[in-house]
Amino acid sequence: MTIHNLYMFDRHGVLMYYGEWNRKRQSGMTIEEEAKLMYGMLYSIRNFVNKMSPVDVREGFQCYRTSKYVLNYFETPSGVKFVMNTDLHSQGVRELLQQINSQIYIEYCVKNPAYRSGETIQCELFKTKLDELVKQSPIFKG
Amino acid sequence: MADDALFDFLHMEIVSQVTKSDPGSLQDGDEAMSKLEQIGYSTGYRFIERLTKDLSRFKDELEVMKAICKDFWSAVFKKQVDNLRTNHQGVYVLQDNKFRFLASISNSRQYLELAPKYLVFTCGLLRGALASLGLTCIVTAEVTTMPACKFQVHLQRA
Repeated sequence: MTIHNLYMFDRHGVLMYYGEWNRKRQSGMTIEEEAKLMYGMLYSIRNFVNKMSPVDVREGFQCYRTSKYVLNYFETPSGVKFVMNTDLHSQGVRELLQQINSQIYIEYCVKNPAYRSGETIQCELFKTKLDELVKQSPIFKG
Repeated sequence: MADDALFDFLHMEIVSQVTKSDPGSLQDGDEAMSKLEQIGYSTGYRFIERLTKDLSRFKDELEVMKAICKDFWSAVFKKQVDNLRTNHQGVYVLQDNKFRFLASISNSRQYLELAPKYLVFTCGLLRGALASLGLTCIVTAEVTTMPACKFQVHLQRA
């Protein structure tokens, strides 16, 4: 099991943070371009899923999988979006994303007066704590 | 817990409001700081009455400082002061290794320049609490690496 990378977007689609752990292949564009592409795709999928659903939508879009990786999607009620790419066998990624939100993002960004919403996260403390949490998770180690 | 967060956010806003109202020169910065300190002072002055309503009287100065480190700090910051030192001549140093208002900002030298304004309210809080207990003093604070910080209390002998 591995974690490849993590994107965080705010409500307006701004890339707040990008973290990378085991990514073997790069997309060949800048991270800004890649983030725009990613956000656009997520936006479309989200709408697609909501419109096509034959029953009442509760959680909406959660993940997609290819033959090589899984893209896990978690969105808070306030519109912060966490996107984590893992391999096919990873389990409990949703819980990990919830943890990242409540233990890292809220603690070290929302409660941090040095961070202003709508900006890219620059805080070293956030980065180290996130890295710690990800590396400790069984998904990363497994 | 939500109520803890409420205090954190309110403190953040008070600091940003007070320091934002007069940006620019150093002189104005001092003014903002003394305003913040004054808010802390009156808060501490009132709060200690409420906190000590069930406690017995204190024997001496040291006992007052111990109560500040234990009861007062726990009530405000949900933890005790980590280290209390004194020269027995009216100078006390209270060290908190994980100060609540700095804990989410940084654990390195990043944002070190922001640290002082998040300590001023607490300096006032301490001064007010001690004043209410009959000790006049000057309180200063210093940070070398966040989130640890030291509060220095200079008691003024009458």
